[in-house]
Amino acid sequence: MDRRGFHGYRKLPSTSSEINMRLAAEIHHHPTTTTTTTNNNSSNNIHATTDDMNECTDHAQDSPPHAKISDDAKETIQECVSEYISFITSEANERCQREQRKTITAEDVLYAMSKLGFDDYIEPLTIYLHRYRELEGDRGSIRGEPLVKARNINNNNVDQYGTMAAVGAYAAPAFHLSHHHHGFFGGAPIGYMNMRDANSSPSSSSHAAALANVEAFAQHK
Amino acid sequence: MRQAGAYSGILSGGLSGKTGPHSLPLARIKKIMKKSGNDVKMISGEAPIVFSKACELFIEELTKRSWTMTIQGKRRTLHKEDVASAAIATDIFDFLVNLVSNSSHSMDNPVEIETTSK
Repeated sequence: MDRRGFHGYRKLPSTSSEINMRLAAEIHHHPTTTTTTTNNNSSNNIHATTDDMNECTDHAQDSPPHAKISDDAKETIQECVSEYISFITSEANERCQREQRKTITAEDVLYAMSKLGFDDYIEPLTIYLHRYRELEGDRGSIRGEPLVKARNINNNNVDQYGTMAAVGAYAAPAFHLSHHHHGFFGGAPIGYMNMRDANSSPSSSSHAAALANVEAFAQHK
Repeated sequence: MRQAGAYSGILSGGLSGKTGPHSLPLARIKKIMKKSGNDVKMISGEAPIVFSKACELFIEELTKRSWTMTIQGKRRTLHKEDVASAAIATDIFDFLVNLVSNSSHSMDNPVEIETTSK
């Protein structure tokens, strides 16, 4: 793994799996401390993952489980996260404006992170993003393969992706619905696929996308 | 059946719309993104999702570095000054320096989001 941005702080041999194991552990364990409604001073505060912080201290130094975080530290970290989002977004937005695009995409975010020194995050984030896209493909049809193929094609084309992002922004809430809303899922990815592959005309599609649309269409009509 | 463990966080929390203890609220992330500049127009659906994960990584890194400071101070409770020390000690956290020092000192300097370009 490329360590160039990390200043040799700590070798993280399998960052993404380590984090995800931690996340998996968090799902099953009862949250001990949660950031509840208290700190809502500024609208910039996120109720960040306090459990993440607790888990991190446990893993950082093989510390005893009763290692603690003060409330002011939690609040400070929350503010830092908000600042982080602003910081990265500003850089991503600058790139969009340079390239005369209106929509900030995931790729813009990743680019900004790399430029601002967070290149160690790029690999786990890219894996996460691809996994997310695969999942969306699976939800669009029972057989995920054609959609995954179509997605791979389109992952290389940032411009098309940027164009369909407007639809993606609308469809994103749909993607977060549970499996019960399967019909809605059927609708959204179809539109999603159309926009991505044809900037101007929804009727024309690339071969792979057409295949995918047929697959998705067949499932949901 | 999908292999569990590595991505169970994604499956059960990150993408189902629930904001469990392991994923950050996407609407809030989007709001902060829009606030970062007057000219932020549109945000793709995936960008907040990437940020959700990125912020987890960020929290982890910041917390671990802060905890190192706590240990060096022979303490067991992570305090705000540990976070400040970690931010100052880390190059990529330069953008946080004003933020963490503003809370303990008077506001001598305006808060700068981008201090240096890297």
